[in-house]
Amino acid sequence: MHHAFKLGEAEHNVELSRGPGVYRLHLGGDTIAVKLADTADGRSWLSIGDRHVEVVVATRGDEVFVQFDGEAYELRYRHPLDRLAASAGGAAEDSIRAPMPGSIVAVQAAAGDAVTKGQTLLVMESMKMETTILAPRDGVVDAVAFEKGQTFDRDALLVMLKQA
Amino acid sequence: MSADAATKPWPFDSVLVANRGEIAVRVLRTVQKLGLRGIVVYHSADRGALAVTMADQAIEIHGSTPVAAYLDAQQILAAAKSSGAGAIHPGYGFLSENAGFARAVEAAGLVFIGPRPEQIELMGDKVRARNFVEKSGFPVAPSAIEDDDPASFVERARKVGAPLLIKPSAGGGGKGMRIVRDLSILETEIERARSEGQRYFGDGRLYVERYIENPRHIEVQVLGDAYGKLVHVFERECSVQRRFQKIVEETPSPALDEALRSRICETAAGIARAAGYRNAGTVEFIFGQDGEFYFLEMNTRLQVEHPVTEEITGLDLVHEQLRVAAGEPLRLAQSDIISKGHAIEFRIYAEDPARGYTPTIGPVLRLHAPQGEGVRWDSGVVQGGEVTSAFDPMIAKLIIRGSDRGDAIRRADKALRETVLLGCKTNTAFLRRLIAHPAFVAGDVHTGFLDANPQIATDPPMPSATLQALLAAAAISTRPMRDAADAIPDLHAAIGAWSN
Repeated sequence: MHHAFKLGEAEHNVELSRGPGVYRLHLGGDTIAVKLADTADGRSWLSIGDRHVEVVVATRGDEVFVQFDGEAYELRYRHPLDRLAASAGGAAEDSIRAPMPGSIVAVQAAAGDAVTKGQTLLVMESMKMETTILAPRDGVVDAVAFEKGQTFDRDALLVMLKQA
Repeated sequence: MSADAATKPWPFDSVLVANRGEIAVRVLRTVQKLGLRGIVVYHSADRGALAVTMADQAIEIHGSTPVAAYLDAQQILAAAKSSGAGAIHPGYGFLSENAGFARAVEAAGLVFIGPRPEQIELMGDKVRARNFVEKSGFPVAPSAIEDDDPASFVERARKVGAPLLIKPSAGGGGKGMRIVRDLSILETEIERARSEGQRYFGDGRLYVERYIENPRHIEVQVLGDAYGKLVHVFERECSVQRRFQKIVEETPSPALDEALRSRICETAAGIARAAGYRNAGTVEFIFGQDGEFYFLEMNTRLQVEHPVTEEITGLDLVHEQLRVAAGEPLRLAQSDIISKGHAIEFRIYAEDPARGYTPTIGPVLRLHAPQGEGVRWDSGVVQGGEVTSAFDPMIAKLIIRGSDRGDAIRRADKALRETVLLGCKTNTAFLRRLIAHPAFVAGDVHTGFLDANPQIATDPPMPSATLQALLAAAAISTRPMRDAADAIPDLHAAIGAWSN
């Protein structure tokens, strides 16, 4: 059982255990006594070993938002079982995801089409600019998830390619 | 001051704000301060927004998209009628520079808080405005206008020479603009700009102008009444831009000495006077490294960045807009308007600068606005609200006033550091890196500054102590991890403590 947090592109394995009056954080071979104490104004005091810092923490589902030293960070909790399932999944190049939220301006490929690497599959629009979505490899389109005019969020699955 | 409601009744007792977000809040504040009734229209996506809760009356409008609702003049006029509004303030964006809307407001017997429809038609259209300014004897940059002769447009555009800038005639806010440095792709770029213009403005007409390398964007606030009196309220420098959109604006401009400042401000006032301009407006210039400046366009409305002007002059521009719209003469002579100190505005965007400034969305789980002397926070979002992709990603404006530019920058860093907004990534850390950059500190920026310095947008490497703190806070705040830790028997934990 390994718990982890995704921060940016990196994933960090961490474990937490109980100590007397504190938790212990197990991180990269180190064990550090840690404690989080809420204050009245929505901020918290975080103790890490003998360091004490002010943080603001908010969570929603698997997302943990932390304000630390004047900056906001977003971490995503990866449950041990979810990580196991993900490692059994297909190659990343089979699914083409939205690089940013936006809407579809033009669909230039349909299910069953043979496409070559670099070929335009979709034209999307975001921030008042057009962006083209290109095929990451040669292959056959399995499905196009959106039609012209539809909107989507970042990381939405736009196009699936059949497994090579 | 004499001609206010205290001594003379307003010709309207209520104002409907045909807008949303921070600007609706901003306008309502002045309307309510003056003892007038403030009404807003809102789409259901904005239910719970600050403007809706603070308005004396809020009327829901509908649309195929949230933006479409705010562009629906008929629904807004119906809301004005049903609520008994006497005047309409359009804010910025949406219908604010739509002459047809201004005309319809007046035809309905209401007061439009802005210029006359003919002035919007003249100065709000880039092509007409440019021709007018040139004919009036003011400086404009070399250009080619498609409408003059569509058949020869590409040829004439080629003659303007590279680098050049393609713009939609009906555009604004950088939408659909393209820089061409290589004339061999001119035609492809023209077609692409046309398709974007068609989609955003329902108008594919274009014009092309010489692109001035490393230019600064300097604009001048003007204020005119219905009797031909017009003053300028100094300049704003808005050179720090990304994707042709301003993100930091300040006044005074660090690029101008007193003589140049006076020349650019007088030029702006001259242009607006020639147009017989009424109400608040902004004349924008492109300012070359050689100190020459050319008319860019006029915005016939209140600008996003108007607060910096308010902060250094002590004026409430919305109050002045209401007075002029009420038919009052300007109460200010040019010599009454004095600029004191320095003000900088930061647009807080829901976006990720490290990913090409792509917009972000998410709930506003925590919001702590910065406070203190010289700190102003203009925002329409509240904790518990949501940032969606339905609207522009600007969620707040942080305006900082200081005794001088250095003082304002120091205060700004502190305020940005104190700003907490969790749930949706914002650009506050990026803004801190920007104002720490030596070129920004020296006031030596241009509209391409961020493109030329992409490292400012890149997240710096994370110190291991920061990573440790983040993972500790996250682990303790994650229930499955706490549960797993708490499930271990006390004895086990106690042994663990001994073994350390």
